[in-house]
Amino acid sequence: MKKTITLKVNGETFNLDVEDRRTLAEVIREDLHLLGTHMICEKGECGACTVIMDGLAINSCLVLAADANGKEIETIEGLAQGFELHPIQKNFVEKGAVQCGMCTSGMIMTAKAFLQKKPHPDEEEVRHAIAGNFCRCTGYVRIVDAVLSSASELKES
Amino acid sequence: MEHFKYVGKSVPRVDANVKVTGEARYTVDIAFPNMLWGKLLRSPLAHARILHIDTSKAEKLPGVKAVITGKDTPFTYGVTHMDQKPLHMNKVRHVGDAIAAVAAVDEETAQEAVELIKVDYEELPAVFHPLDAMLPGAPVIHEGVEGNVAARPSYENGDVEKAFAESDYVFEDTFETPPIAHVCPEPHVCVAKWDHSGKLTFYVSSQMPSLARTHFANFLKMPESRIRVITNYVGGAFGSKTLSRFPIEFASVILSRKTGRPVKFQHTREEEFHYSTLQFRFVITVKTGINKDGIITGRHFKAICECGGYVSHGASITSVAGALQGVLYRYKNYKYDGYAVYTNVPYGGAWRGLGNPPVHFAGEAQLNMIAAEIGVDPLELRLTNATHAGDTSATGALVRSCGLSKCLEKVAEEIGWKEKRTNPRPNHGLGIACGVHFTGIRLPTMPDTDFAEAKIMVNDDGSVNLTTSCVDLGQGSNTVLTQIAAEVLGIDMDRINTIYGDTETCPMEWGTRASRVTAIGGMAVKKASENARDQILRAAGEKLEINPDDLELKDNKVLVKGNPSIHMSISEVARFNRYRENGQAIMATNHWDAPSHGNISSAFSFGAKAIEVEVDPGTGRTKVLRVVVANDLGRAINPAGACGQIEGGVHMGLGMASTEEIMLNEKGGMANNQFLDYRVLTPLDMPPITPILVETNDPVGAFGAKGIGEMALIGTPDAFVSAVHAAAGVWIRKLPVTPEKVLLAMKAKK
Repeated sequence: MKKTITLKVNGETFNLDVEDRRTLAEVIREDLHLLGTHMICEKGECGACTVIMDGLAINSCLVLAADANGKEIETIEGLAQGFELHPIQKNFVEKGAVQCGMCTSGMIMTAKAFLQKKPHPDEEEVRHAIAGNFCRCTGYVRIVDAVLSSASELKES
Repeated sequence: MEHFKYVGKSVPRVDANVKVTGEARYTVDIAFPNMLWGKLLRSPLAHARILHIDTSKAEKLPGVKAVITGKDTPFTYGVTHMDQKPLHMNKVRHVGDAIAAVAAVDEETAQEAVELIKVDYEELPAVFHPLDAMLPGAPVIHEGVEGNVAARPSYENGDVEKAFAESDYVFEDTFETPPIAHVCPEPHVCVAKWDHSGKLTFYVSSQMPSLARTHFANFLKMPESRIRVITNYVGGAFGSKTLSRFPIEFASVILSRKTGRPVKFQHTREEEFHYSTLQFRFVITVKTGINKDGIITGRHFKAICECGGYVSHGASITSVAGALQGVLYRYKNYKYDGYAVYTNVPYGGAWRGLGNPPVHFAGEAQLNMIAAEIGVDPLELRLTNATHAGDTSATGALVRSCGLSKCLEKVAEEIGWKEKRTNPRPNHGLGIACGVHFTGIRLPTMPDTDFAEAKIMVNDDGSVNLTTSCVDLGQGSNTVLTQIAAEVLGIDMDRINTIYGDTETCPMEWGTRASRVTAIGGMAVKKASENARDQILRAAGEKLEINPDDLELKDNKVLVKGNPSIHMSISEVARFNRYRENGQAIMATNHWDAPSHGNISSAFSFGAKAIEVEVDPGTGRTKVLRVVVANDLGRAINPAGACGQIEGGVHMGLGMASTEEIMLNEKGGMANNQFLDYRVLTPLDMPPITPILVETNDPVGAFGAKGIGEMALIGTPDAFVSAVHAAAGVWIRKLPVTPEKVLLAMKAKK
């Protein structure tokens, strides 16, 4: 059955007719064509599809699009201001936290929601925050580094 | 040491910005408005004869556009043994073997149709372990291959039996490593699209797009010029996207031709875990003769590789792992017997390290057992026997550069080897291991080449387009190749656009594999850049009426050596050269075949790892406290990228050591095919990692570089089990080292 929903995504409002069985991740990718939200496991085990919904980092593959009706969603595409990267993105670039890039969007969105709640984390807290985000390339070393550097930068600004 | 502007500098990746913004497009992202989705029917049985296939119900399902079976895919293929077929008509040899394929308007309809295909089977006895498959009377999996041994690669140098008879000690131990998945974040995926000019465009997540073109041109009997293979950003590969062809690829190509519409196939995560080619199971027996002075007198490896239903890379991997083991130490007497064995499990493939991680594990773990037994320091034991530059190995390999001893000394010093072993803490232990891996590969079972190609085009504004078929899989090759071109041409990196992954515009390539891209792909880029540089200097010399030998390229300009006030921008030179009478483009290509004729590789990278582990005696749980890694990578072109390879390699190596194992149920079907029960290590499991880069300036690699991607992993499980022994007093010979195994071994010891 189709449902009419309203999503506010990266500040823009979308009115959509979606099948009620479809997930938010599918609608973000297939209907809104925001392909920066990646899917690796499609069942909430890898964190690749993490977006921020009303301030909370969520696995968008575990949320039905219909249940996101009226919510405010932030995806990776919403972070940079024009060509100016968000500080977390900048740190991922500078610290070498990116390899294949499939986990990167989810990592950055997880980090953003986390740092909003916990602006002064220690390394252990960062590791816990990203524990649900799978990466096969980096051993997480530089990702943890990038999140910690972002924290100190965001704190200063 | 020469002074370089770009080489040796840690620079951000050239593709980092488009990856952190989500703009980078992968093959999984490709969609066309009229695209169909494909699904495979896979065998539920591990070994069976196919009696009848009925696709009629599937064909009638609304939304289904075509159904194909083996009749439509009359191709045989394989890596060394042509024993595979895309879709099987007569027999299936593992759970998941493909039988039919459907193209439909969406994924759900395709899946529904697949479930409507009826297959009658006659189930055959199946075998799920290589030792069982080698027993007399075991089921025959491929007709004519009695005993299921598909290949017997071997090496022999000297007389090991004589050496054993004359040694102070002889040890023999058996080890086993399980099948492991690559777990590529981007699964195997492809889209085939034919147009009405008869041209095929094939989008595929691949480490070897040019080989995919060669393969499909052969299968379809088409000119290579009519096939365009495109590889976008690749979401990880780790060996699984090299020489292997996959049923989904054939199915998409044939179904697209049949329907006239683009057809996409993508492994589900479950398929990806089991059917994207695994690291093979190995059972390895090592017999070692050694004298009281620590000198290894002889070593005999018997390595049994479980290929699964098809040989795939099994024969070449079993061979290369034996050749490489022979390069690690100064073996006076060396014997290696490899067995590539069919069983009814999903087949394996190239997995980071190409069989070297399991064979090294057996050799290095046993060396630590021997050290403990005869009371010698495992570090000293290695230094006593280590290979050095200039050696020719027992397997005939010339070692031109070698930092093995230095790597061992560095990791020992950094982790505090001597002090910590003198004052051990309860339940804590240190382990050490070392290894060697190739930089590119040349094997008797493969075409006799190890080449890369590159093409440089200088634009009117002095910027450069560099094309290559070295694919950036995430390892950072595009950044390194851009650094190399920038260094030679004296052009800023951001003025160079390095393009890969389109067979229509990029030159050929022998694959982004075998840790070969920086050294060998980089050499093609270096030589093409040198050629373009010489053209620029010649043209500038003509314009300035100065001998080109007195000119140099620097900061996007041609300068007169010693008199930088006279200069031309590269743009001015390019335009002068192009628009004058009888003008020419500044353009250069290079084909570089690494000098490894008669050798398995042109260069060998060495490395060592030291690991500190704590074991909980109550639960058998292990906690890695620290990993120190030293890698002889010849030269680090991008040190930060090299360290990233080491960190990722250690992560995968610790997974192999402690948690990762593909498990099958008693019928040979999937038992663990999701992240919850195939345990990849999380950020909470990872210890601090200290990478140390050892530079030996190899004489044949680009700027002295050798490979690192695979060596980064090798030795991790070996050092880990030895650390567990030091902490808990037990040797675990069968990976992964689970708490259960440790606890049981500790109990058995009491």
